[in-house]
Amino acid sequence: MRTFAVLFQKELRESWRSFKFLWMPLLFIFLGISDPIMNYYMEDILNAVGNLPEGFTITLPDYAPADILLASTGQFQSIGLIVLVVIAAGMINRERQNGTALFIYVRPISFAALYFSKWAVINLLAVLSVILGYGASMYYTAILYGTVEPLLFIQMVASYCVWILFATTIALMFSAMFKTALSITFTVIVLPIGVLVQSLIGQFWNVSPWKLADYSVQLLTQSENEYYLKTLLLTIICTVIFILIGILFTRKNASSVKV
Amino acid sequence: MMDINWALVAPLLVIQVVLLIVALVDLIRIESTNGPKWVWALVIIFFNILGPIVYFIFGRKS
Repeated sequence: MRTFAVLFQKELRESWRSFKFLWMPLLFIFLGISDPIMNYYMEDILNAVGNLPEGFTITLPDYAPADILLASTGQFQSIGLIVLVVIAAGMINRERQNGTALFIYVRPISFAALYFSKWAVINLLAVLSVILGYGASMYYTAILYGTVEPLLFIQMVASYCVWILFATTIALMFSAMFKTALSITFTVIVLPIGVLVQSLIGQFWNVSPWKLADYSVQLLTQSENEYYLKTLLLTIICTVIFILIGILFTRKNASSVKV
Repeated sequence: MMDINWALVAPLLVIQVVLLIVALVDLIRIESTNGPKWVWALVIIFFNILGPIVYFIFGRKS
Protein backbone atom coordinates (compact mmCIF):
# COMPACT_ATOMS: atom_id res chain seq x y z
CA MET A 1 0.00 0.00 0.00
CA ARG A 2 2.88 2.31 0.82
CA THR A 3 4.51 1.56 -2.55
CA PHE A 4 1.23 2.28 -4.27
CA ALA A 5 0.92 5.68 -2.58
CA VAL A 6 4.44 6.70 -3.61
CA LEU A 7 4.04 5.48 -7.18
CA PHE A 8 0.60 7.07 -7.41
CA GLN A 9 2.04 10.44 -6.39
CA LYS A 10 4.82 10.06 -8.93
CA GLU A 11 2.33 9.29 -11.72
CA LEU A 12 0.10 12.13 -10.66
CA ARG A 13 3.01 14.57 -10.68
CA GLU A 14 4.11 13.37 -14.10
CA SER A 15 0.62 13.77 -15.56
CA TRP A 16 0.35 17.20 -14.00
CA ARG A 17 3.69 18.34 -15.42
CA SER A 18 2.80 17.17 -18.92
CA PHE A 19 -0.43 19.22 -18.65
CA LYS A 20 -2.67 16.18 -19.09
CA PHE A 21 -4.91 17.33 -16.28
CA LEU A 22 -5.35 20.61 -18.09
CA TRP A 23 -5.98 19.73 -21.70
CA MET A 24 -7.87 16.45 -21.36
CA PRO A 25 -10.76 17.97 -19.37
CA LEU A 26 -10.70 21.02 -21.65
CA LEU A 27 -10.96 18.77 -24.71
CA PHE A 28 -13.95 16.92 -23.28
CA ILE A 29 -15.62 20.18 -22.24
CA PHE A 30 -15.09 21.48 -25.76
CA LEU A 31 -16.54 18.31 -27.30
CA GLY A 32 -19.43 18.48 -24.86
CA ILE A 33 -20.45 22.07 -25.61
CA SER A 34 -19.77 22.10 -29.33
CA ASP A 35 -22.80 19.98 -30.21
CA PRO A 36 -25.50 21.90 -28.35
CA ILE A 37 -24.16 25.19 -29.72
CA MET A 38 -23.69 23.90 -33.26
CA ASN A 39 -27.19 22.48 -33.49
CA TYR A 40 -28.61 25.66 -31.99
CA TYR A 41 -26.97 27.82 -34.65
CA MET A 42 -27.34 25.30 -37.47
CA GLU A 43 -29.73 27.51 -39.42
CA ASP A 44 -27.41 30.51 -39.23
CA ILE A 45 -24.41 28.38 -40.14
CA LEU A 46 -26.18 26.95 -43.21
CA ASN A 47 -27.23 30.43 -44.29
CA ALA A 48 -23.72 31.77 -43.89
CA VAL A 49 -21.64 29.03 -45.48
CA GLY A 50 -24.08 26.58 -47.00
CA ASN A 51 -24.37 28.45 -50.33
CA LEU A 52 -28.00 27.38 -50.57
CA PRO A 53 -30.03 28.39 -53.65
CA GLU A 54 -32.50 31.25 -53.46
CA GLY A 55 -35.79 30.33 -51.87
CA PHE A 56 -34.50 27.03 -50.56
CA THR A 57 -36.00 26.11 -47.26
CA ILE A 58 -35.21 23.28 -44.93
CA THR A 59 -36.95 22.29 -41.79
CA LEU A 60 -34.53 21.34 -39.07
CA PRO A 61 -35.80 18.81 -36.59
CA ASP A 62 -36.71 19.91 -33.11
CA TYR A 63 -34.10 18.32 -30.96
CA ALA A 64 -35.00 16.81 -27.63
CA PRO A 65 -32.41 17.17 -24.84
CA ALA A 66 -31.63 13.45 -25.10
CA ASP A 67 -30.74 13.84 -28.80
CA ILE A 68 -28.17 16.49 -27.98
CA LEU A 69 -26.65 14.32 -25.24
CA LEU A 70 -26.54 11.47 -27.76
CA ALA A 71 -24.64 13.71 -30.18
CA SER A 72 -22.18 14.70 -27.44
CA THR A 73 -21.69 11.02 -26.62
CA GLY A 74 -20.86 10.46 -30.27
CA GLN A 75 -18.13 13.10 -30.01
CA PHE A 76 -16.72 11.51 -26.85
CA GLN A 77 -16.79 8.12 -28.53
CA SER A 78 -14.73 9.30 -31.51
CA ILE A 79 -12.21 12.05 -30.80
CA GLY A 80 -12.32 11.88 -27.00
CA LEU A 81 -11.93 8.11 -26.87
CA ILE A 82 -9.05 8.04 -29.38
CA VAL A 83 -7.06 10.68 -27.49
CA LEU A 84 -7.70 9.03 -24.14
CA VAL A 85 -6.72 5.51 -25.15
CA VAL A 86 -3.66 6.65 -27.11
CA ILE A 87 -2.41 8.29 -23.91
CA ALA A 88 -3.20 5.14 -21.90
CA ALA A 89 -1.53 2.88 -24.47
CA GLY A 90 1.80 4.58 -23.89
CA MET A 91 1.82 4.64 -20.12
CA ILE A 92 3.68 1.47 -19.18
CA ASN A 93 5.81 0.72 -22.24
CA ARG A 94 7.11 4.26 -22.78
CA GLU A 95 8.85 4.08 -19.40
CA ARG A 96 10.39 0.77 -20.37
CA GLN A 97 11.60 2.15 -23.70
CA ASN A 98 13.22 5.35 -22.49
CA GLY A 99 14.83 3.60 -19.53
CA THR A 100 13.01 5.36 -16.69
CA ALA A 101 11.51 2.05 -15.67
CA LEU A 102 14.96 0.79 -14.72
CA PHE A 103 15.00 3.10 -11.69
CA ILE A 104 11.75 1.59 -10.53
CA TYR A 105 12.30 -2.06 -11.43
CA VAL A 106 15.59 -2.37 -9.53
CA ARG A 107 13.70 -1.81 -6.31
CA PRO A 108 11.66 -4.57 -4.72
CA ILE A 109 8.27 -3.24 -5.75
CA SER A 110 5.05 -5.08 -6.28
CA PHE A 111 4.02 -5.02 -9.91
CA ALA A 112 0.39 -4.83 -8.88
CA ALA A 113 1.13 -1.54 -7.12
CA LEU A 114 2.98 -0.28 -10.20
CA TYR A 115 0.11 -1.24 -12.47
CA PHE A 116 -2.58 0.16 -10.21
CA SER A 117 -0.77 3.47 -9.77
CA LYS A 118 -0.98 4.00 -13.53
CA TRP A 119 -4.50 2.59 -13.75
CA ALA A 120 -5.70 4.91 -11.00
CA VAL A 121 -4.16 8.03 -12.53
CA ILE A 122 -5.42 7.45 -16.09
CA ASN A 123 -8.88 6.63 -14.80
CA LEU A 124 -8.94 9.61 -12.49
CA LEU A 125 -8.13 11.70 -15.53
CA ALA A 126 -10.69 9.91 -17.70
CA VAL A 127 -13.56 10.06 -15.21
CA LEU A 128 -12.83 13.70 -14.40
CA SER A 129 -12.87 14.56 -18.11
CA VAL A 130 -16.05 12.62 -18.81
CA ILE A 131 -17.91 14.16 -15.87
CA LEU A 132 -16.82 17.68 -16.82
CA GLY A 133 -17.63 17.02 -20.48
CA TYR A 134 -21.12 15.70 -19.80
CA GLY A 135 -21.62 18.43 -17.22
CA ALA A 136 -20.81 21.10 -19.80
CA SER A 137 -22.99 19.41 -22.41
CA MET A 138 -25.89 19.11 -19.97
CA TYR A 139 -25.49 22.74 -18.90
CA TYR A 140 -25.81 24.00 -22.46
CA THR A 141 -28.55 21.54 -23.30
CA ALA A 142 -30.49 22.71 -20.27
CA ILE A 143 -30.12 26.34 -21.31
CA LEU A 144 -30.92 25.87 -24.99
CA TYR A 145 -33.22 22.84 -25.19
CA GLY A 146 -34.54 21.74 -21.83
CA THR A 147 -33.67 19.40 -19.02
CA VAL A 148 -33.69 15.66 -18.49
CA GLU A 149 -34.41 13.65 -15.40
CA PRO A 150 -31.42 14.38 -13.06
CA LEU A 151 -31.23 10.82 -11.67
CA LEU A 152 -31.25 9.29 -15.13
CA PHE A 153 -28.56 11.73 -16.21
CA ILE A 154 -26.35 10.72 -13.27
CA GLN A 155 -26.97 7.06 -14.08
CA MET A 156 -26.04 7.68 -17.69
CA VAL A 157 -22.78 9.41 -16.79
CA ALA A 158 -21.92 6.67 -14.29
CA SER A 159 -22.46 3.87 -16.78
CA TYR A 160 -20.51 5.78 -19.43
CA CYS A 161 -17.69 5.98 -16.87
CA VAL A 162 -17.79 2.17 -16.56
CA TRP A 163 -17.30 1.94 -20.33
CA ILE A 164 -14.38 4.42 -20.14
CA LEU A 165 -12.78 2.33 -17.36
CA PHE A 166 -13.11 -0.70 -19.65
CA ALA A 167 -11.49 1.21 -22.54
CA THR A 168 -8.52 2.51 -20.56
CA THR A 169 -8.00 -0.93 -19.00
CA ILE A 170 -7.73 -2.52 -22.46
CA ALA A 171 -5.30 0.20 -23.54
CA LEU A 172 -3.17 -0.31 -20.41
CA MET A 173 -3.18 -4.07 -20.95
CA PHE A 174 -1.81 -3.62 -24.48
CA SER A 175 0.65 -1.11 -23.06
CA ALA A 176 1.97 -3.76 -20.68
CA MET A 177 2.15 -6.36 -23.47
CA PHE A 178 3.79 -4.60 -26.43
CA LYS A 179 6.04 -1.73 -27.44
CA THR A 180 4.51 1.71 -27.91
CA ALA A 181 3.80 1.65 -31.66
CA LEU A 182 2.29 -1.83 -31.55
CA SER A 183 0.20 -1.17 -28.46
CA ILE A 184 -1.22 2.04 -29.93
CA THR A 185 -2.12 0.18 -33.13
CA PHE A 186 -3.89 -2.62 -31.27
CA THR A 187 -5.68 -0.19 -28.99
CA VAL A 188 -6.97 1.89 -31.89
CA ILE A 189 -8.15 -1.27 -33.68
CA VAL A 190 -9.91 -2.69 -30.66
CA LEU A 191 -11.52 0.47 -29.28
CA PRO A 192 -12.35 3.28 -31.76
CA ILE A 193 -12.65 0.87 -34.69
CA GLY A 194 -14.57 -1.50 -32.43
CA VAL A 195 -17.03 1.30 -31.78
CA LEU A 196 -17.30 1.86 -35.53
CA VAL A 197 -17.94 -1.83 -36.23
CA GLN A 198 -20.46 -1.78 -33.41
CA SER A 199 -22.40 1.05 -35.02
CA LEU A 200 -22.34 -0.66 -38.43
CA ILE A 201 -23.32 -4.25 -37.66
CA GLY A 202 -24.11 -4.03 -33.95
CA GLN A 203 -27.73 -5.03 -34.39
CA PHE A 204 -26.77 -8.69 -34.65
CA TRP A 205 -25.92 -9.00 -30.98
CA ASN A 206 -27.31 -7.50 -27.84
CA VAL A 207 -24.74 -7.91 -25.12
CA SER A 208 -21.24 -6.56 -25.60
CA PRO A 209 -19.13 -3.99 -23.73
CA TRP A 210 -19.02 -1.84 -26.87
CA LYS A 211 -22.77 -1.42 -26.57
CA LEU A 212 -22.61 0.06 -23.09
CA ALA A 213 -22.18 3.66 -24.28
CA ASP A 214 -25.26 3.38 -26.51
CA TYR A 215 -27.27 1.74 -23.78
CA SER A 216 -26.29 4.39 -21.25
CA VAL A 217 -27.70 7.16 -23.46
CA GLN A 218 -30.80 5.08 -24.13
CA LEU A 219 -31.44 5.13 -20.39
CA LEU A 220 -32.74 8.66 -20.93
CA THR A 221 -35.37 7.72 -23.47
CA GLN A 222 -36.24 4.06 -23.09
CA SER A 223 -37.73 2.93 -19.85
CA GLU A 224 -36.70 -0.70 -19.89
CA ASN A 225 -33.80 -2.44 -21.55
CA GLU A 226 -33.40 -6.06 -20.56
CA TYR A 227 -29.84 -6.18 -21.91
CA TYR A 228 -28.53 -3.15 -20.04
CA LEU A 229 -27.72 -4.92 -16.76
CA LYS A 230 -26.16 -7.89 -18.54
CA THR A 231 -23.97 -5.57 -20.60
CA LEU A 232 -22.94 -3.64 -17.49
CA LEU A 233 -22.03 -6.85 -15.66
CA LEU A 234 -20.13 -8.24 -18.64
CA THR A 235 -18.17 -4.98 -18.96
CA ILE A 236 -17.21 -5.03 -15.28
CA ILE A 237 -16.14 -8.68 -15.46
CA CYS A 238 -14.06 -8.02 -18.60
CA THR A 239 -12.43 -5.02 -16.92
CA VAL A 240 -11.37 -7.14 -13.95
CA ILE A 241 -9.99 -9.87 -16.24
CA PHE A 242 -8.03 -7.33 -18.31
CA ILE A 243 -6.63 -5.76 -15.14
CA LEU A 244 -5.31 -9.19 -14.07
CA ILE A 245 -3.79 -9.84 -17.52
CA GLY A 246 -2.27 -6.36 -17.41
CA ILE A 247 -0.57 -6.99 -14.06
CA LEU A 248 0.68 -10.35 -15.31
CA PHE A 249 2.30 -8.80 -18.37
CA THR A 250 3.73 -5.89 -16.40
CA ARG A 251 5.62 -8.47 -14.36
CA LYS A 252 6.49 -10.70 -17.31
CA ASN A 253 7.83 -7.93 -19.53
CA ALA A 254 9.79 -6.20 -16.78
CA SER A 255 12.96 -7.74 -18.20
CA SER A 256 12.40 -6.03 -21.56
CA VAL A 257 13.40 -2.67 -20.13
CA LYS A 258 16.07 -0.90 -22.14
CA VAL A 259 19.30 -0.35 -20.17
CA MET B 1 -27.88 39.06 -40.09
CA MET B 2 -26.39 36.70 -37.59
CA ASP B 3 -26.85 37.84 -34.09
CA ILE B 4 -24.67 35.65 -32.01
CA ASN B 5 -25.17 35.43 -28.32
CA TRP B 6 -21.56 35.92 -27.27
CA ALA B 7 -22.17 34.73 -23.73
CA LEU B 8 -22.96 31.37 -25.28
CA VAL B 9 -19.92 31.12 -27.52
CA ALA B 10 -17.41 32.66 -25.09
CA PRO B 11 -16.49 29.37 -23.32
CA LEU B 12 -15.38 27.87 -26.64
CA LEU B 13 -13.10 30.84 -27.25
CA VAL B 14 -11.76 30.70 -23.69
CA ILE B 15 -10.86 26.99 -24.07
CA GLN B 16 -9.16 27.69 -27.38
CA VAL B 17 -7.14 30.62 -25.95
CA VAL B 18 -6.11 28.75 -22.78
CA LEU B 19 -4.90 25.75 -24.79
CA LEU B 20 -3.08 28.00 -27.26
CA ILE B 21 -1.25 29.94 -24.55
CA VAL B 22 -0.29 26.91 -22.46
CA ALA B 23 0.97 25.04 -25.53
CA LEU B 24 2.99 28.01 -26.79
CA VAL B 25 4.55 28.72 -23.37
CA ASP B 26 5.44 25.05 -23.05
CA LEU B 27 6.87 25.01 -26.58
CA ILE B 28 9.12 27.97 -25.77
CA ARG B 29 10.33 26.49 -22.50
CA ILE B 30 10.84 22.90 -23.59
CA GLU B 31 14.32 21.84 -24.64
CA SER B 32 13.52 19.87 -27.77
CA THR B 33 10.45 18.49 -29.50
CA ASN B 34 9.74 15.65 -31.89
CA GLY B 35 10.43 17.48 -35.15
CA PRO B 36 11.28 21.13 -35.66
CA LYS B 37 9.93 23.63 -33.18
CA TRP B 38 8.67 26.17 -35.70
CA VAL B 39 6.41 23.57 -37.32
CA TRP B 40 4.82 22.89 -33.97
CA ALA B 41 4.37 26.63 -33.46
CA LEU B 42 2.45 26.81 -36.74
CA VAL B 43 0.38 23.74 -35.86
CA ILE B 44 -0.51 25.17 -32.45
CA ILE B 45 -1.47 28.57 -33.81
CA PHE B 46 -3.36 27.60 -36.95
CA PHE B 47 -5.32 24.51 -35.94
CA ASN B 48 -8.11 25.36 -33.54
CA ILE B 49 -8.30 23.26 -30.39
CA LEU B 50 -6.81 20.16 -32.00
CA GLY B 51 -3.44 21.82 -32.76
CA PRO B 52 -2.39 22.29 -29.13
CA ILE B 53 -3.73 18.83 -28.23
CA VAL B 54 -1.81 17.12 -31.02
CA TYR B 55 1.27 18.98 -29.81
CA PHE B 56 0.74 17.78 -26.23
CA ILE B 57 0.33 14.17 -27.35
CA PHE B 58 3.00 13.83 -30.03
CA GLY B 59 5.21 16.90 -29.83
CA ARG B 60 6.63 16.69 -26.32
CA LYS B 61 9.53 14.39 -25.72
CA SER B 62 8.99 12.55 -22.48
